[in-house]
Amino acid sequence: MKSRRLVAAALAAAASLLFTACSSGGDSADGPVTLKFQSLSDQPAAIAATNKIVDDWNKAHPDIKVEVVQAGWDGVYDKLITQFNAGSAPDIIHYEAAGVVPFAKDGYLADLTPYLSEQKKTDIPKGVLDSVTVDNQVIAYPTELQSYVVFANRALLQKAGVTIPTGDTMTWDQLREIARATTRDGAYGLGWGLSSPTAAMVALAPGFGGKYFDGTGTDAKISVGQGEMALPQLVDAMAHQDNSILPVTLTQSGSNALAPFYAGQTAMTIQGSFQAANIAKDAPAGFDWVVLPPLAGPAGPAQAANPQTLSVNKDSAHVEQAAQFIEFFTNTENLAALNEADALIPATTSAREALTTKLGAQNGWKEILSSGQYLTSAPYLFVDKYAQWKDTVATPAYQKFLAKQIDANGLSKELTDGWNSINR
Amino acid sequence: MRVLLRPAQYLALAAYILFLGFPLLWLISASVKSSGELNSLTVSLLPQQWHWDNYSDALDRQGLVHSAGNSLVVALVSTALVIVIALPASYVLARLKGKIRAAGVGWILVSQVFPVVLVILPLFLILRTIGLADSLAGLTLVHTTYTLPFALWMLQGYVSAIPVDLEEAGAMDGAGRWTVLRRIVFPLLMPGIVATAMFSFVSSWNEFFFALVLLQSPENYTLPITLNMFIGGEGKVSLGPLAAGAVLAAIPSIVFFTILRRRLTSGLMAGAVKG
Repeated sequence: MKSRRLVAAALAAAASLLFTACSSGGDSADGPVTLKFQSLSDQPAAIAATNKIVDDWNKAHPDIKVEVVQAGWDGVYDKLITQFNAGSAPDIIHYEAAGVVPFAKDGYLADLTPYLSEQKKTDIPKGVLDSVTVDNQVIAYPTELQSYVVFANRALLQKAGVTIPTGDTMTWDQLREIARATTRDGAYGLGWGLSSPTAAMVALAPGFGGKYFDGTGTDAKISVGQGEMALPQLVDAMAHQDNSILPVTLTQSGSNALAPFYAGQTAMTIQGSFQAANIAKDAPAGFDWVVLPPLAGPAGPAQAANPQTLSVNKDSAHVEQAAQFIEFFTNTENLAALNEADALIPATTSAREALTTKLGAQNGWKEILSSGQYLTSAPYLFVDKYAQWKDTVATPAYQKFLAKQIDANGLSKELTDGWNSINR
Repeated sequence: MRVLLRPAQYLALAAYILFLGFPLLWLISASVKSSGELNSLTVSLLPQQWHWDNYSDALDRQGLVHSAGNSLVVALVSTALVIVIALPASYVLARLKGKIRAAGVGWILVSQVFPVVLVILPLFLILRTIGLADSLAGLTLVHTTYTLPFALWMLQGYVSAIPVDLEEAGAMDGAGRWTVLRRIVFPLLMPGIVATAMFSFVSSWNEFFFALVLLQSPENYTLPITLNMFIGGEGKVSLGPLAAGAVLAAIPSIVFFTILRRRLTSGLMAGAVKG
């Protein structure tokens, strides 16, 4: 009896499915232009902010209707590559610079240079604009950024007699000194989640003059010299000579390294700047934390930017209208609201300043927003097979180095030989 | 010594059940913990404070119930289609002799060696041509096709285990081919059908990649796609709501298994054939 009911339910569902499939309609040719906007916003506040921007646009532009198609970050590259190849990609695409550059090089994205207003062009820091410029074409509008910043437990720093740095920047040497001073009473100075270390190493290398790659595409050549090796060697020295890094955090993700920070096992932790929102939410009651000034190496406080972006599908029938929408989406007010919701750094100077005015007095925001001005373009964005090198060569090599299985020469050799092997 | 054997067996069984069930217990525990507790060093199966908001977050945020409905429809229909197609096909494969059978079995095996990424683009283009891209009907078709080879393989093994002598005995007693199948083969095959149905249902229920690529409209998203959206960019994960969503997502599978479990009997054929 139960089996018969099950079969009946299945048949009814099948009929319903077929009806749904047959009755789905397409856009009306006579109606307003409809643009599909595939958004990857993931936080409830950011989804709400995105929807508000779209609603505002739709109210002001009844002839150009934008529809949000919510999607997830995980697997989005596979989804997009299928959509592009099958000619069914959305008109407006939310992603990140590292993800869209390969699509631009393959000719799937529209050149937005003619639509980028002069005001917007001057509002986006050059280094950030460079990160979305491929073959002299602007292939995306940058929207949100993150930087690596140092979160510190004020009580542990004060207990160790450390004066909390307050300048425009602080040096890596200062960080090392503070980590040494706060490594006491069973606590470690620093916790740094480096289970996937390549992103951090590559992003922070510009502060030491490191570039990793020269050239673009398949012509790119790797260069692992002093600038590239400085940070891994510093981490190695802090972890194994100073013993000022909690060892287990080197094998953890960034998020997992927050737990020992909350528990007072580490006095500081290096995290993506967006973690400020999570720390404010999750830290135990009374936990007194600060964000230290942006880290500067011998070459300054520069970090590689990999902004979230909005691009337009080259095959869209409405490239111009899509670009108009993106201009609206990235105006100062909208970018400030979106970045506030996502706890990220706006990609335009005016939005960053607006957010500093609004939130500068709140814990951490001033330092985090300040770090945004040092973000710059990264050569790795324009290198074919970077993702393959990162996953199959660099990450295992850094992990072995941090675990003392290979020395600095071994790391340099593995990074270089691995690239040359992949890029043959 | 014999006195101790039975308690030891029960103890081993309890340990095994605990081993199997612990991930689910941990998931349930995570689903009722606050974000702060999940990100602390305090490890405990019982939460310090019961945080039921994760369930309302999961239900409110991403259209979880609607996605679960989509997943249920796709899983039930593809399971039904797999069984309807695999049942006669597996009987033929099991009973047929000669080169055609070998070719059929070989073809089933070959169909399993192609990686999903290799077939996804042509599949998408075919579905778009027939108007089934971005539809639950298209996804059902794909799940059916993708599950069918293994289901055939499974069922064929069950059919082969039924002695031909039983069918011949039925025929000698005057039963026609259809009666033999209906009265003798299918009842004996029921555990195999149930096992195959369970496999098909779970495969479809959990399937992620095809759904990710083929479904474009949020109203068509299945449960794995919706749960995936709790994992954000930059390493952001809403762990509590994700765990709550995963607990809710497990319920239909558990119900389906509970309904079919009693049919998973074995030993029906014990002593059916003498000698």
